[in-house]
Amino acid sequence: MRLVSLSLYIERVELSPVLTLSNTEKTFGALPVVAPTSFSVERGSFVSIVGPSGCGKSTLFNMIAGLESPSGGSIELNGGDISGRTGHVGYMLQKDLLAPWRSVLGNITMGAHLTRGVTREDEERGAALARQYGLGEFLAHYPNALSGGMRQRVALMRTLMTDHELLLLDEPFGALDAQTRFEMQRWLLDVWHSTQRTVLFVTHDVDEAIFLSDRILVMSERPGRIVLDLTIDLPRPRRTAMLTDAAFMGAKRAILSLLHHELGE
Amino acid sequence: MRFRRNLLGSFLSFVVVVGVWQAIITFGHVAPYVAPTPLDAWRSIVENWSHLWPLTLTTVKETVFGFGAGAALGMGLGVLLSKRRFVQRVIYPILILSQAIPIIALAPPLVLVLGFGLTPKIVIVAWIVFFPVTVSVLDGLANVDRDLLMLARAYGASPWRTFLAIEVPSASSSLFSGLKIGATYAVTGAIIGELAASSGSSLAMFQHAQSAQLDAAGVYGTTLIMTAVGMGWFGLVALVEFFTTPWKRRSIARRAGRHI
Repeated sequence: MRLVSLSLYIERVELSPVLTLSNTEKTFGALPVVAPTSFSVERGSFVSIVGPSGCGKSTLFNMIAGLESPSGGSIELNGGDISGRTGHVGYMLQKDLLAPWRSVLGNITMGAHLTRGVTREDEERGAALARQYGLGEFLAHYPNALSGGMRQRVALMRTLMTDHELLLLDEPFGALDAQTRFEMQRWLLDVWHSTQRTVLFVTHDVDEAIFLSDRILVMSERPGRIVLDLTIDLPRPRRTAMLTDAAFMGAKRAILSLLHHELGE
Repeated sequence: MRFRRNLLGSFLSFVVVVGVWQAIITFGHVAPYVAPTPLDAWRSIVENWSHLWPLTLTTVKETVFGFGAGAALGMGLGVLLSKRRFVQRVIYPILILSQAIPIIALAPPLVLVLGFGLTPKIVIVAWIVFFPVTVSVLDGLANVDRDLLMLARAYGASPWRTFLAIEVPSASSSLFSGLKIGATYAVTGAIIGELAASSGSSLAMFQHAQSAQLDAAGVYGTTLIMTAVGMGWFGLVALVEFFTTPWKRRSIARRAGRHI
């Protein structure tokens, strides 16, 4: 009897969404930036948000990160309201924001440095993480000695080290060249798969969104709201060959026609 | 490696300066009572050393203490003014006013209050030093990457931790520029203080006496000592910068982290 209830409990936790937005909105003065928006993100899933420039994607992210308070509605993480409270999700931006005065390992452990002081255990964990994902030889390097792709890897390791279940990635590969971006996408899927985090990803690149995601939310022009919630039916692990798959093309057509419609074409 | 190259560079510039000096005296047929050769100036230093040494020590003391007080005041004001914009609006014009006062005119009122001891000189040096330090700290803190500060906030960092972990290292380049400018001014301030607020013996008064006796070699020798104090102090500040900002000259840190 107890076992049954325990397994039911576990099932409920696993099935419950990590993140739930209910009628979340943001206005700056009289300007509505994000229209009332509701969606949930399932545990362990990879969800992307695409939309035209200035549609409020970054504002939405800032609200989830707690940097801005919503003007209305709620933001719940694992059932608890986190609106206006920072330090509950991992956050990464297009700019890698590495500290030039700290080594790669020092940057990976930046979260601990900023909140409570870095312990030996933090550094050992950070070093293990770096080794696992191809940064092992660069632990003592300063960021200025690294390429753009490498710097973004360090930034993602820094985000992972904070142990938050939900990672917000705001166009993390937007500034990289096409080849590096492609490598980074596959690397990110590898990291996501093996660390079992939940990812909410913002991008301008529809191909990137489809290749990475379980689900894509398409936002309208400002004030942003979700106009399409599309599940991507491609098996995992994702392969390069899928880029020309019928399901891939179908999803791309659906998203692009909406985006173009939004842009008034 | 770079350190050794810098040292070699400094040595070569010393050789150039002495060479040009010697050349001017030799080829310009300058009389020894107008300007001495470098060697004569050096000889005069050696001959007067027993007298010069305690005076030099006093000048060094004024420079170092004044610089310390000025740098501390400058950094404190810089941080305060950058954190409290209203205080900045009130205080900043006063700081500019303080620098508009001719420094030599500062001495008489200081003497009235502080007498002729070490203190008025230290105050004069600090008066000159704090200003470039304050401006550089203000500048450095104003130019910290906004997104990096936002990221720190997203991590849930307290303002104090953000200050120590992000703002101080970000502003360090700018801070050292201010400190180095202050370091070169410091000895000038000390000598002005010695001239304007001195009753007894000091390097500046000693040189004054040498000048009255038309002792050109002595005058030049004493100037050399003052210059050496200023350069030595600048060098020390530059050395501190060198060792506290390794990321500017290295691509790999000595250690990956604090513990491993």
